[in-house]
Amino acid sequence: MKKNETEAPVMKQHMGLKASAAISNTIIYVILVIMSIIWLIPFVCIVLQSFRVESTYIVDYVVPHKWGLDNYVKLFHSNFTRWYINTFIIALVVAVVQTVIVLCMSYTLSRFRFKLRKGLMQFMLILGMFPGMLAMIILYRVLDDMGMTGSNSLPGLILVYVASSGMGYYVSKGFFDTIPKSLDEAARVDGATRAQILYKIILPLAKPIVIYTILTAFMGPWGDFVFARYVSQLKPLGMNVAVGLQSWLATDTMTHDNYTLFCAGGVVVAVPVAILFMCLQRYYVEGVTGGAVKG
Amino acid sequence: MASVKLTKVKKIYDNNVVAVHDFDLEIKDKEFVVFVGPSGCGKSTTLRMVAGLEDISEGTVEIDGVVVNDLQPKDRNIAMVFQNYALYPHMTVYDNIAFSLRLKKMPEDQIYERVTNAAEILGITQYLMRKPRALSGGQRQRVAIGRAMVRESKVFLMDEPLSNLDAKLRNQMRAEIILLRQKLDTTFIYVTHDQTEAMTLGDRIVIMKDGYIMQVGTPTEVFEMPANLFVAEFIGAPKMNIIKTRLLHENGKYYVTPFGVKIEVDGEKGRELAKRQLGTRDILLGVRPEHIVLDRKGGGIPCTLEVNEMMGSELHLHVYTEDETRLIVRIPTIDLETSERESLAQGKKLSITFEGKVMHFFDPETEKNLLCD
Repeated sequence: MKKNETEAPVMKQHMGLKASAAISNTIIYVILVIMSIIWLIPFVCIVLQSFRVESTYIVDYVVPHKWGLDNYVKLFHSNFTRWYINTFIIALVVAVVQTVIVLCMSYTLSRFRFKLRKGLMQFMLILGMFPGMLAMIILYRVLDDMGMTGSNSLPGLILVYVASSGMGYYVSKGFFDTIPKSLDEAARVDGATRAQILYKIILPLAKPIVIYTILTAFMGPWGDFVFARYVSQLKPLGMNVAVGLQSWLATDTMTHDNYTLFCAGGVVVAVPVAILFMCLQRYYVEGVTGGAVKG
Repeated sequence: MASVKLTKVKKIYDNNVVAVHDFDLEIKDKEFVVFVGPSGCGKSTTLRMVAGLEDISEGTVEIDGVVVNDLQPKDRNIAMVFQNYALYPHMTVYDNIAFSLRLKKMPEDQIYERVTNAAEILGITQYLMRKPRALSGGQRQRVAIGRAMVRESKVFLMDEPLSNLDAKLRNQMRAEIILLRQKLDTTFIYVTHDQTEAMTLGDRIVIMKDGYIMQVGTPTEVFEMPANLFVAEFIGAPKMNIIKTRLLHENGKYYVTPFGVKIEVDGEKGRELAKRQLGTRDILLGVRPEHIVLDRKGGGIPCTLEVNEMMGSELHLHVYTEDETRLIVRIPTIDLETSERESLAQGKKLSITFEGKVMHFFDPETEKNLLCD
């Protein structure tokens, strides 16, 4: 009897807590769903417009009256294929080279102690605060002298994207710092060289940060407009997808003729990135939080 | 198997902090030497200099007669066990142990033989396919030892290998290290801050403080004849009681006068004092807690009981004398009648005494043992 008397208020309190938790969860989920819908609207609109075949200009409705793949067929019979390949080559090369540079830089700054190490890190921090655009004119002059502009902009753009790679070491260095140094020391005693330690011990443990570095290195050139526009000087052979697609909407007349084609291009550009993100999403989130919180 | 010789080894860090001063030591082949001391005394730094993980600022380290100052750790023919195990978390236990052998490009069948042998000795055969995170602390430390074992190195270095384990497991692993040492029969350098580990494991103990060697000796030597006050207080638990008093030399006999009570220094200690022709002087008198006894006849040093710690087989009595000096007395429980044991409550007036043969005499200025060379 006594037991029931004490149990009842505890049960009531427990039920109350459970109910309030359910209400707050519901509110959170409703807000999240609304936000997701708002963020998805432009993308859904572009996808729908890309299948519209009754007209090529901007219209005031979202769902096409007539559906078809005409825009996609047209897309691959235009310069778009060239731009797509250009962008893919640039992004791939940059992803590989930049990842190698960033990881080596991060490992060096995390593990080695040398004179001016701190000075170098501070210098890079300050340098990173200046917008890259400031260097655009001089970069163009240099690249132009080297013959890497206009139609031949591919190597020029790769050079520009890769040049400042080393400065993106912060997140991965933070992650490397959380890996105990005694692992390096144990490996050194075991007979491993520095390169073997990085390759066999550190990188397998830093998988999330490696994925994160690859993704960010790939994403930068894939979506870049400003540098690509400037270096390619709108020469069709030297453009990437962002510049190419924008060139289709350069004037009102062009927008009138190319809007749905532009939407189809936008969808095709988004596909590989979306697939990449979906596959590597888990590592990407782990990489960002792992490095930031622990470092 | 090899000898290790450290000559005038010094470690100066970039900020000009000197971590180790002129460290001189010769470790014989197959000897088990323990570096012991409080945090920051330079024991781990010295070990790491032997391992090649720290640069040597001055002096030389020789392994088997070869100066190894400029050699990489892998070329020094050493194996090392770290305090935090330092196991590679992404590899299985087997791969962890086999790592160094694979780097040497040893054939897989030989690697298998060595790894399974080591695992059998250490009792970890059933865990070979597990990742380190699926092991307990003790099992992880065994894997770390296994990884060092398979290298079949000349010198085995251990940097506080038991510090991360709980007290019970530490005792068990300590016994296992003694057995392992018999099986491996190689040169060991072992670092610890725990004097019990040092006393039980070492053939010789190197006691360090602030980068200096305080004393090198066998466990018996450092316990029975501590070279200075630091060693006297560091070795032994609870630590030695230190009493400011006077040494009197009267009619050919020696006396000490702690707290106004005159006690004759008889036996071997008295003869040693006479041999050194020491005159009357101020001294620091050291007496270990286990050498103090309750004086039931009266006439001993009067004191008051402050805390009574029941340790099971013995009592640790914290007492204070009339001049507020705190002393610790260690009494085996078996030496006390139940009624006497129960009467030992806070505030009880006691009388304590000790014999001449258990005394240690230190110079108040130099803190050196007056009977040590």
